[in-house]
Amino acid sequence: MNAPLILFYFFEAAAAIAAVALLFARSVFYGALLVIVILLALAGLYVLAFAEFVAVTQILVYAGGILVVIIFGIMLTSRLSGKPLVVEHTLPVSGGLVGLAFFGALVYAIALQTFPTSESVAKTSTTFDATQTVGIALMSDYVLPFETTGILLLMALIGAAVMASDNASKKI
Amino acid sequence: MAPVHHFLYLGAFLFSTGLIVIITKRNTIMVLLGLELMLNASNLNLVAFNSLHPGSLQGQMFALFVIVVAVCEAAVGLAIVLRVYRQYRTSVPDHVNELNQ
Amino acid sequence: MTPLDTLQAHSSFFVICLGGALALPLLSFLLCFYVSEKYSWATSVLAPFLMMASTVCAAVVLYQAWNHPAFTWQRVWFSIADHTFTAGIHVNNASALMLFVVTGVSFLVHVYSIGYMAGDTALRRYFAMLGFFTFSMLGIVVSDNLLLIFVFWELVGFSSYMLIGHWNESPAAAEASKRAFIINRVGDAGFLIGLMLVWTHGHTFNIEALRALPLDPAWMTAASLCIFCGVVGKSAQFPLFTWLPDAMEGPTPVSALIHAATMVTAGVFLLGRAHFLFTPAALNVVAITGAITALLGAFAALSQHDIKKVLAYSTMSQLGLMVAAMGAGAPEAALLHLFTHAFFKACLFLSAGSIIHALHQAQHQSHVNFDVQDIRLLGGLRKKLPFTFIMFVVSGSALAGLPLFSGFLSKDAILAALVHWSNTGDAWHWVVLLVVALVSFVTVLYTFRLVWTIFNGEEKSTASLVVSEPPVVMRAPMAVLALASVWIWFSWNPFSFSGWIYNHIGAAKDFHGGFVSMASAAWVLLALAVAYASRGRKLDSRLLAQGFYVDLFSRKAIEQPTLQLADLTHRADKKWIDGFLHATAYAQVIVANLTGWFDRAIVDGFVDGAAGLAKSIGSFTRSFQGGKIQLYIFWAAFAIIIFIIWTLL
Repeated sequence: MNAPLILFYFFEAAAAIAAVALLFARSVFYGALLVIVILLALAGLYVLAFAEFVAVTQILVYAGGILVVIIFGIMLTSRLSGKPLVVEHTLPVSGGLVGLAFFGALVYAIALQTFPTSESVAKTSTTFDATQTVGIALMSDYVLPFETTGILLLMALIGAAVMASDNASKKI
Repeated sequence: MAPVHHFLYLGAFLFSTGLIVIITKRNTIMVLLGLELMLNASNLNLVAFNSLHPGSLQGQMFALFVIVVAVCEAAVGLAIVLRVYRQYRTSVPDHVNELNQ
Repeated sequence: MTPLDTLQAHSSFFVICLGGALALPLLSFLLCFYVSEKYSWATSVLAPFLMMASTVCAAVVLYQAWNHPAFTWQRVWFSIADHTFTAGIHVNNASALMLFVVTGVSFLVHVYSIGYMAGDTALRRYFAMLGFFTFSMLGIVVSDNLLLIFVFWELVGFSSYMLIGHWNESPAAAEASKRAFIINRVGDAGFLIGLMLVWTHGHTFNIEALRALPLDPAWMTAASLCIFCGVVGKSAQFPLFTWLPDAMEGPTPVSALIHAATMVTAGVFLLGRAHFLFTPAALNVVAITGAITALLGAFAALSQHDIKKVLAYSTMSQLGLMVAAMGAGAPEAALLHLFTHAFFKACLFLSAGSIIHALHQAQHQSHVNFDVQDIRLLGGLRKKLPFTFIMFVVSGSALAGLPLFSGFLSKDAILAALVHWSNTGDAWHWVVLLVVALVSFVTVLYTFRLVWTIFNGEEKSTASLVVSEPPVVMRAPMAVLALASVWIWFSWNPFSFSGWIYNHIGAAKDFHGGFVSMASAAWVLLALAVAYASRGRKLDSRLLAQGFYVDLFSRKAIEQPTLQLADLTHRADKKWIDGFLHATAYAQVIVANLTGWFDRAIVDGFVDGAAGLAKSIGSFTRSFQGGKIQLYIFWAAFAIIIFIIWTLL
């Protein structure tokens, strides 16, 4: 049991526990915080899977960006309503059953597969600088999707700003 | 290095959790959170599979683009939630059923 | 997309003028709609100006196309499978002349409308629709293709609907416009069936191409009769004529336009255009229909009291004459009458409009109210409206067919054609000839009855009114049209119809009309004498016994039968035809009730069972889509799980 493996199971356990807690969370705010925990744990797992750049992006964009926005949203909605947001549950039994069945089906499907053990490849992959390669790839092979996502981001930004703006009757 | 299976089990678990959250939570923001969870679960799979092919970057790239799209989705989704909330004074998705009347 | 046929011997200037004549009314329509509410007065300058430009273009077209080979221009319109539909323009002598007449009359009506419609709230719509009306009619005139003609035919129907119902706040006008539209649709249904027949047997809609094809006579009889249905509707022939008198609810300039240039003439023009399609059997039907219409219209005009209705019935009867001439195989005569009729009937309507306008103005000032269109209340207006009087007499003389006027020439042409036709054909052709002669006699009677009642005698309701002539924008078009009602424009010799128009609008036949023209002149003058003798007599009262021979003659031999016939035709119109319509309506109601019962008892019983089943299924499936999004997701996930299990196992 080496250190990376301990870290790996620690992060896995953290994500799984936070996910279970999310299922039973009755406050949206706590739910958002639990999602942050999951996202950070996932970022740790990404590092362990030799995807440092994705991990950093995960932390920056998700934990630092989206979740902050979502928490702002939660606070805004609770400010508008004036009472804390308590989440009711609908279809708890059937929803849970469907989720469990889904999980079971996926686990069964995964267990059927055999993958090459990553021990052999792990040693070679530590030798190259992932971030630099990702940067070069983004600017060469993946430049078209990169630019396209830039446009998509711009559109989402403008759209979100327009939709969330207060003067609803103003002509756009 | 942990076996890929364990990444996939966690991905499946998070995905199912996200699904349950989407189905059971009576709050639009929670539903959005469940959606993020599902996206992350798929991202985890992408990154895990990429670790099997050290020479290539396709899985990571895909994960990056998924993150970016998730950003857009979250921003627009949240804006819609806010607007709906202002309009209908509710964040329960089923209460917005004007077209059903 | 290459031009299938190029222009021969026509300069590009000609093409530009032709395009201008066609496009300017459309431009007027568009511009008038886009002028803002604030500047709606501008339409009354803009629209007549554009129409004037169009008229000038049409005049150039007429000058250049006259006695030249027909101008044709074709393009592929669209193709379905391997059938190609072409659209194109065909300008020969008749259509060039028609182009000029339509734009000219329309221009004069535009100018007249400036005065007549001044102060109307919907001026923009009015002028826009006038432009559109003219454009649609021009489309009919120049199209080389039956399908294209049908398209413009419908547009004419639509724009007439808009114009007749221009004062849509009046229920009568709204009713009349609906009526005109629907009755026209009835005829158009026949037209459409005719088009299908033509397509099935000729595989082309192009008129010139159809002319060259050998077609099966039996089917062509059917097809041409179906096309004639459209003509019956549009040109107000028996039995689809009731919309025409009702259409008098529209503004008077519109009536002038409908009657003179744009609408009812379309049917006659189409008959002339597609004359070769008509087999002898079909032509007989056409001739009889025309004669019946002419007779009904003439006698109905005698018994009317509304000035515009008299004119409307007279149009109907004149159209009947044209159609009868078409049926007699003399399209040139019919077209000649069409052109002369366009001018004098427009002038008559504009004069009537001028009377109405002047009296309305006078009523407005002195706050007296009576129906200005009722000729029983009018009289002695000669002194108060001298200009209108002259115009009315000139155009009325043309209508009555007095020598030296245009109507004499064209009516003569029709009579000569009919005489020729009767001499060569079956015995019953004489009946048609006699009917037409009788109609031309009655025409004189009702025209001069109108003139004498309105302008001579003592003033009745108008005695106390201060009446002034309408403004010059209204008088000038009347003057132009009255001038155009004189013989000289149509033939140098006032007693011979074979002038420059008649000889060149078709394969004109010379009927040696010398005897006919003398006879008809004498006949018309006799009628005039009768009309003079019976002047001032109310037609619905008994004539006094005293009087000279003509008086007695007219009373015994003409007036009483005439009156009875007038009464009869009036009743025929009001009771039998309307009664027939009512009877069909009642029959429909009864049938509807029967089917309703059947529907409720049997069909519904069956349907209820099916509906109950559907309802239970529906309420089951409905539970899946109650507007609960999360339930949808649940079911979607459920389905995916089933799918996954299915694939895994």
